[in-house]
Amino acid sequence: MIQESELKTFVEGTTNYFEVAAQQPASIGSPYLVTEGQPSVHEYTGVINITGKREGVVYFTAPKAMLTVLLMKMQESDFSHETMRDLVGEVANTISGNARKDFGRDFVISVPSVLTGEKPEIPAMPGLRSFVIPINWRSHSAKLVVALK
Amino acid sequence: MNFSGADRKRQLVTVGVGTVLMLVMAGVLIAGFRLATQMNANVAALQTASALQTYPNTLVAQLTSLRDRLETRAYSGQALADLRATVEKFDREMKQLGEFSHSPQFEQAQALWQQYSPVLDPVIDFTDQPYVDSDEEGSTLSPEGRTHYADVKRAQLFTQENSEPLQALLAGLSTQLQTEASTGANRLRVLLSAGVLAALVLAAAAAWFQLTRGRSERLAREAQEQTRDILRTVKEGFFLLDADYKIGSVWSDALTRLFGRSDFAGLAFEELLKDLVPPATLATAMKYIKLLWGERAHENLMKSINPLGQLEIHVETASGAREARYLQFDFHRVMGPKGVKHVLVSVGDITSSVLLAKELQESQENANQQVDMMLGVMHIDPVQLMSFLDSTETGLQLVNAILKEPARTDAEFRKKLDGLFRELHSIKGEASALNLMSVAHRTHALEDMVTELKKRPELSGNDFLPLVLKLDDLLAHLRSVRELATRLSNLRESAPTEARGGRSSGKGGTDELSRTLQSLAERLAKDHNKKFRLSVSGLADIPRAYVPTLKDVLIQMLRNSAVHGIEPAEVRRANTKSDVGEVRIEFRKSADGFELMFEDDGAGLLPEQLKAAAVRKQIVTPEEAAAMDTRAAMALIFRPGFSTQEQVSMDAGRGVGMDVVAKSVYAIGGKIGVTTNPGKFTRFKVSLPASEETSTAVA
Repeated sequence: MIQESELKTFVEGTTNYFEVAAQQPASIGSPYLVTEGQPSVHEYTGVINITGKREGVVYFTAPKAMLTVLLMKMQESDFSHETMRDLVGEVANTISGNARKDFGRDFVISVPSVLTGEKPEIPAMPGLRSFVIPINWRSHSAKLVVALK
Repeated sequence: MNFSGADRKRQLVTVGVGTVLMLVMAGVLIAGFRLATQMNANVAALQTASALQTYPNTLVAQLTSLRDRLETRAYSGQALADLRATVEKFDREMKQLGEFSHSPQFEQAQALWQQYSPVLDPVIDFTDQPYVDSDEEGSTLSPEGRTHYADVKRAQLFTQENSEPLQALLAGLSTQLQTEASTGANRLRVLLSAGVLAALVLAAAAAWFQLTRGRSERLAREAQEQTRDILRTVKEGFFLLDADYKIGSVWSDALTRLFGRSDFAGLAFEELLKDLVPPATLATAMKYIKLLWGERAHENLMKSINPLGQLEIHVETASGAREARYLQFDFHRVMGPKGVKHVLVSVGDITSSVLLAKELQESQENANQQVDMMLGVMHIDPVQLMSFLDSTETGLQLVNAILKEPARTDAEFRKKLDGLFRELHSIKGEASALNLMSVAHRTHALEDMVTELKKRPELSGNDFLPLVLKLDDLLAHLRSVRELATRLSNLRESAPTEARGGRSSGKGGTDELSRTLQSLAERLAKDHNKKFRLSVSGLADIPRAYVPTLKDVLIQMLRNSAVHGIEPAEVRRANTKSDVGEVRIEFRKSADGFELMFEDDGAGLLPEQLKAAAVRKQIVTPEEAAAMDTRAAMALIFRPGFSTQEQVSMDAGRGVGMDVVAKSVYAIGGKIGVTTNPGKFTRFKVSLPASEETSTAVA
C-alpha cells in the first residue's frame, strides 16, 4: 500500500514548482480516489513511470489556461504548444527529482514524457485505484494523479 | 596476532647479553692495555739489565787500561773519561732499572753497585795532572798522580773481585725480567683470546639479534598487512574511542562507506552522529558512552540498554538521493592495567535484515489478517455478506463522492466532515452487527480521523491525504473480503446440499436483519460483559423500502442499550432485577402505517444525568439545562454530539448515533419518541407512514 510520506513527496514536488517558478504557492484541494478506469485529464499531461519498490505512474495534468497564466507569471512571451509541453514536462521533472531525492534507489523513476489532448495514452494500471490530488493555483485547478502498487 | 610479550622478552635478553659482552670486551681491553704497558716496561728493563751485564767487565777493562797508562806514563785522560762515562751510564741505568724492578736480585745488585761507589768515586773524581815532567827523570808520577794510581789499582782489584758476583746478580735479574715478560706475554695471549672470543660471541649475538629482529619485523609487517587486509575487507565499521570520546587513528574501510566520509581520525563521536540522529537520541547515546567508561558498568547489562542497537539514519547517495539505512552499533570495552583503555565500536549495516524482518512481519500480519478475515467471514451468511459488501461499497463511493467535491476554503473542507462521518458510522454499524470486525476496525479508524479533523482550527487538502489513504486501504480490504466470500460461496455451492443445511431458505432481507441483530446482540453482550436476551417479532412485516433505514436504526438502538441501558448483572441483582436483561423489538401495522417498538429493561434515562452530559459537551449552557423540563431533557439524546459515554469505543461515545437515527427516521417521513422509567426501562417508538411498497412486504 502506498504510504502517506510517498504521496506527500509527489505533492510537495508539485507545489514546490509553483512556489519556485511562479513565486506563488499552490494549494492542494480535496483528494479523492478513482476506483474504476483512469481519471480524466486536461490538455497537457507530464507522466513519469515508476518501477522498483513500487510500480505505476504519476502524472501532472493541467489545463491550457492554467499553463498560460503560469507562463505569463514566469515572464514568458511564447505561449506556443511546444512551450506548454515543455512547461508541463518541467513540472513532471521536478516531481521526479523530488521523488529521486526522497526515495533513493528503491524507486526507479523514468524520464518524464509529455502527452497532450484529453484522451492521451497513459499506461493502464489494471485493478489499481488512482489517488487524485487537485492542485489549486490562483483560480485554476490541475491534478496530480498517483497510481502505484 | 600478539607479538609484544615475546618480542619484548627477546629484546631484553639480547640487550642484556650484548651489555655483558661489551663489559667483558672492555675489561679485556683494559687488562690487555695494562699488561702490554707492563710488558713494555719489562722489555725495557730487560734490555737495560742485559746491557748492564757487560758493564762490570767493561769497568775492569777500563781500570786495567787506566792503570797500564799510568804505569807507562801514557796519556790517561781518555781512559779516565771513558771510565767516568761508563760509571755514569751504569749509575743512570741502575736507577732506571730501579723504577721497573724491585726484585731481590735487583736490590742485591743495587747494594753491590753502591759498594763500587767509594772505590770508584776517588778515581773518577781525579782532575789533577798525574805526571810531572823533569829533564833528569823524565816523566814521573806527581804526588797526586801517585795517589790516583793507588786508587786506580785498588779499584781495579775491587772490580775484578766483584765483577763476577755483580754480573751474576744482573744476569739473574735479566732472567727474572725475561720470565716476567714471558708470563706477561702468556697473559696477554689469554686476554687476547678471551677478547677475540667475546668479540665473536658479541658478533654472534648481534647476528642473532639482527636475525630475530628481522624475523620479528617480518612477522610484525605480516601482522600489519593482515590487520590492514581485515580492516579493508570486513563489512562492519570498526574503530576505537578514547577517553575523550574521540575516534582513534585506525578504522575499517567500511566506515567510510557507511557514513559517506573519511575524516574519522580524532573525530568526536558526538560529531559523527550529530547530523544523523535526532538530538534526543544523540544525548542518550552520549550518556551511554560515558557509562561505558565507568568501572562498575556490566557489559551484558550495558548491551541490553544500548540506544544505538538499531539506528535509522538517512545518508545522501552519490546521485544526491537520501537513503534510509539501519545501523547497529556495538560497544566493547578494552581493558588496560589502569581500567578501561578504549571502547571498541563496531557498526554493522543491518538494513537488509531490518527490511526483511519488516517484510516478514508485514506478510505475517497479512497472513493473520487473512485468517481473521476468513474466520470472520465464514460464520456470515453469504447472501447477507454480499448484501453488506454491496451496500458498504456504495457507502464508500458516497464517501469518495463527498471527498471529490471541489474545496478550497476551510468552510468547504469542514462541510465534508459531517457527511463523511454519517456514512462511515453507518458502515461501521453494519460491519459491527455482522461481527465483521476487520471492516469495523478500519472504519472506526477512519471515523477517528474525521473526528480529529473536526478539532483542527484550519483545514486544507493536505489534512485529507491520510483519510484518502485509509479509504483506499478499506476498499482494498473489502475487495479481499469479497474475493474470499466468493471463494467460500463457490465452495459451499460445490458441497452436497444436505451439508449446507437450510440456511438459504430464509425470508430475504428481514430474516437477514433478524440474524444480524441477534449476532450483534451476542457480540455486544460479550464485548461489554453484559447479559441480555433479544427477542424480535414482526420484522418480516417491514416493507422492503424501510429495511435499510430500520436496520441502521435498530443497530444503533441495540448498541445504545448494550452500552448505556442494560446494567451489569451485579447491579441488576442489587436492584432486584433478573441477571439477564431483556431487549424487545416489535414491528407491527398501525392504523395509519407502521410502528416499531424498541424496549430494554435497563437503567432508563435520568433527565438530570442527560442535562449534565449536555452541559459537559457544551451542547447547552448550565442555565439552559436548568430551565429544561423532563421532556426537553429527554430530547437531548437526539442532539448532534450528545453522548453520556466518556470513553470512545467501537459502539458508543462519539456523540453520534441517536441524532443520525432521528434524521434517518425523519428522512423516510417517520417520527420517533422515547419514554423511560429510571431504573426500569427505556422505550423508543418509531411511527412510519404506510409505504407504497407495503404490498411488496415479505409476508
